[in-house]
Amino acid sequence: MLKSMMTAAILGVAAMTAVPVAVQAEDLTGKTVKFGAIVPASGPFAEWGRANTVALKMLEKQVNEAGGINGAKMEIVIYDDGAKPAQAVSMLRKLADDDQVLAVAGPATSSAVEVAFPVANQLGIVSVSQNSSKPGVAAANRPWGFRNTVDEAKLARLVVPFFAKTFDVKKAAIIYDAKDATASAAGAKIFPQILADNGIENLDADTPISFNTGDLDVSAQVTKLRSLQPDAVVLSADYSQAITVLREMKRQGMKTPVVGSTQLMSSAILAAYPELPIVAPTTFFAGLDVPAVKTFTDGVTPLMRAEKNLPGTIEPSLFDANIYEIVSLFAQAAKEAGVTAAPADLAADRTRIRDYMASESDFVGLGGKVRFAADGDAVKSFFIVQAKDGKWTSLETACSSPEADACAQ
Amino acid sequence: MGVSIFIQQVLNGLTLGAVYTLIALAFSLVMGILGILNLAISEIFMIGAFIGFSLIMSGVPVWLALPGAMAVAAVISMVIARIGYEPLRNASHITPMLSTLGFSMILQNFATNTWGSDPMQLTLEGWLDTRFHFGLVSLSVVQIVVFAVTLGLCVLTALLIQRTDIGRGLRAVAENRDVSRILGVRPRRMILVAFALSGLLAGAAGVLVGLHYSVITPYIGVDIGLKAIAVMIVGGATNIWGALLAGPIIGILEVLTVAYGGAAMRDFIVYGMMIAILLVRPQGLLGGSSKTSGGRV
Amino acid sequence: MMSSYQAGLVADGSILLLGALSVYVILSTGQLSLGNAGFMAIGAYLSSWLTVSAGMPLTPAIVVSAAVSAVFGLIIGFPALRLKGLYLAMATLGFGEMVRTFFLNFEPTGGAGGFSGMEHVPLWYILGWTAFVLACVMICERTRWWLEIRAVNDDELAAGLVGMNTTVTKLMAFMTGAAIAAVAGALLAHQNLYIEPGNFGFDRSTEFVLAMILGGSSLAAGSIVGAALLIMLPELLRDFVDWRIAIFGALLVAVLLVRRQGILDRNVFGLAKFWRRAN
Repeated sequence: MLKSMMTAAILGVAAMTAVPVAVQAEDLTGKTVKFGAIVPASGPFAEWGRANTVALKMLEKQVNEAGGINGAKMEIVIYDDGAKPAQAVSMLRKLADDDQVLAVAGPATSSAVEVAFPVANQLGIVSVSQNSSKPGVAAANRPWGFRNTVDEAKLARLVVPFFAKTFDVKKAAIIYDAKDATASAAGAKIFPQILADNGIENLDADTPISFNTGDLDVSAQVTKLRSLQPDAVVLSADYSQAITVLREMKRQGMKTPVVGSTQLMSSAILAAYPELPIVAPTTFFAGLDVPAVKTFTDGVTPLMRAEKNLPGTIEPSLFDANIYEIVSLFAQAAKEAGVTAAPADLAADRTRIRDYMASESDFVGLGGKVRFAADGDAVKSFFIVQAKDGKWTSLETACSSPEADACAQ
Repeated sequence: MGVSIFIQQVLNGLTLGAVYTLIALAFSLVMGILGILNLAISEIFMIGAFIGFSLIMSGVPVWLALPGAMAVAAVISMVIARIGYEPLRNASHITPMLSTLGFSMILQNFATNTWGSDPMQLTLEGWLDTRFHFGLVSLSVVQIVVFAVTLGLCVLTALLIQRTDIGRGLRAVAENRDVSRILGVRPRRMILVAFALSGLLAGAAGVLVGLHYSVITPYIGVDIGLKAIAVMIVGGATNIWGALLAGPIIGILEVLTVAYGGAAMRDFIVYGMMIAILLVRPQGLLGGSSKTSGGRV
Repeated sequence: MMSSYQAGLVADGSILLLGALSVYVILSTGQLSLGNAGFMAIGAYLSSWLTVSAGMPLTPAIVVSAAVSAVFGLIIGFPALRLKGLYLAMATLGFGEMVRTFFLNFEPTGGAGGFSGMEHVPLWYILGWTAFVLACVMICERTRWWLEIRAVNDDELAAGLVGMNTTVTKLMAFMTGAAIAAVAGALLAHQNLYIEPGNFGFDRSTEFVLAMILGGSSLAAGSIVGAALLIMLPELLRDFVDWRIAIFGALLVAVLLVRRQGILDRNVFGLAKFWRRAN
């Protein structure tokens, strides 16, 4: 405990000394500032990657139309990793070495991030994930690995008590995806602890109910859940898997309210079991009533829907918002930290961006202020939302950091 | 309480088993007759699910959507036979297996680009949405449809193989290609028939999965395909009825493992059972003599 | 000078080559293994545990992992003697899936959360192991033992009749293949610095087989071509964006149709020798 407090103190001091002195921005007219992005545009998460690509192309256009970065043109080099760790690493190396980008947004999945972040540290280039929320991944890969996501443990700590109060929950049962690293960490460790802390009985503590990514049939698990007669179900799974569980609950007529992690956030969840209250934390959803979000959603939705290889009903997701914020932050960092975009200064420019990200910047993302804590994860305000009548409704606003006014505008 | 939960779990297992049966039968038609492992069957099943889904969503009644999707699946399967298997039939058994792997990639990519990688969901209406309750146990109309179609298709396939000229031709090719030609059977046509039948069954399984689980993605074939291979082995690749026996066995085994053991051990037990069967009775539960099992690679 | 991107691809290709060789050795006796990802998993997890938790240096850790994996190869090889053709392939497929499920549930190595903490290995180290294994296999190809292996493949019954111990030959092949796959796994773990059960699924096993068959299954050198192709092709097809996997699949089918014996075979080499002599 003492050791971790000391580490925190040292990191805190380091962060303070790293605050960049206001740099006189050099005029970069005629130059190009390059950033990279690694998205899963093929394979099982192709839709995420392709939507990410549309959001990034829109951002590139917006920044350049607004005068670029201190006069320089901004270019985003986007590569597909097919959600495969080996390809994510290859693309990170390619972006760093061949394309000489200043910073990289992505990779997306935690499996890819686990392998890519050590390489980012080796190469000395910032890599910021737009999806990964597996506990502790950025913390293990300081100082170059960051994630514009919030650790599920921090969110669950606030969501569960709120949920328990709203639905008068005394006993709950957990079901989780045992093959998904994030979902299984949350389902097997984080949620049981939080239920215990809030005095909620965990009905399947002894024989946890789980399934595997890719399972079509979860009827046995849901029948087992139903037989426990819980007041609420904790569903820890990525939304694409969670839908299978929700569908099965619907089929078996289970009407217990559901709470989950950010992994549940998707418009696809809304159609799975519209009659059921589903509560989850998120930093973004397409219908959020915040001006910046509205502008983003209105701008990007028609572009995504015009894309040939994306479904015609697609809505921007949390990950699209996250990657849009990441590269926006890169652009702001490049502007304010005074990158030179000269090949000789590559390493220095990369360090400038890292230091800017690690510092108390005044970056404002779509849902409010965003900064990065010493563990590399984002500190930002989030919303506790409930699926209702086919859309997400925000019930409560909270901040992912317990520090007072960490998220204040 | 305990008993009705048990009955409910057995029903769950039977439904899953029915799906396994159809896909396993699709595998065994090609494996038993031609001796190759067509890995693209998993993806033909997936395409069948999407075609069925799309048809039902656009208002086509189920009794039409089912044969429609089955027909598309059969055509894809025949294309694979002509391009991916026919020219390679004299090569080792591995080469056609890998060429079907190439087709799997094409089909997955096609489905991702056409229907997206996110889950596609179906909302059932009318008579399809009905459930019967017997105390705490419940059974849906769709489940009855799944059982009926599976049983019906198994019986039809068996009749076709055992009672018709086509079936005799298929069995002749399975025994010996050259001899069958002397007997007046055209092996090339029989190969096409075997692949078409296999496609029909995989496509039907796809539609049933879509109806029952009502949520599909382009990647649903991957895991279920491997399980169906295990079902084929357990039942016996050379016997039509093997899949009908092994499907429910594996389905119920899986469900009961999840219900009374832990989901974690499920795959371990299924594949363990497959290996055990291979060691004790390589021809499968209902397979013929062990002589026929497996050619040279 | 190689960029780190190219160096990374070379490392990936070397590891894939080892995987392909692990299938090649087993296939030379006529046995197809679709479960070599299982042996790879054993090598990856055991070597990582040895270097991270037991503090063993990498090289002995790899040797130990390869030896342990060879024992598993023996355990799988024995029952495999009873099975032929695709039935054996499916038994090995089941073994691979069982290993993966085991590590998914085995908490001491992180379960679904994966295992990390390894030290990064330089490229030359990976290349060194690959060259060593490749050389061993190629030297073996010129020995009497290999003639026995080929004999078992061509006609097991006849090989047995002329007094060869086909059982020992087949088991040895399985053990060697398992050991090579374990080396590949150990190198992968210390190249990626993070491993999880999902790295060792059925797709990995088929990738090995694919690399070997594409390159040419009648000689070890074929696997070099196959591995290089499988690593390079997806990179070269990046311009096709959303359709690149489909095009990759189509090219795969095309190569198999044009050269069912693989890109390299003994004839190609024979032809080269003939040319040299002619000139």
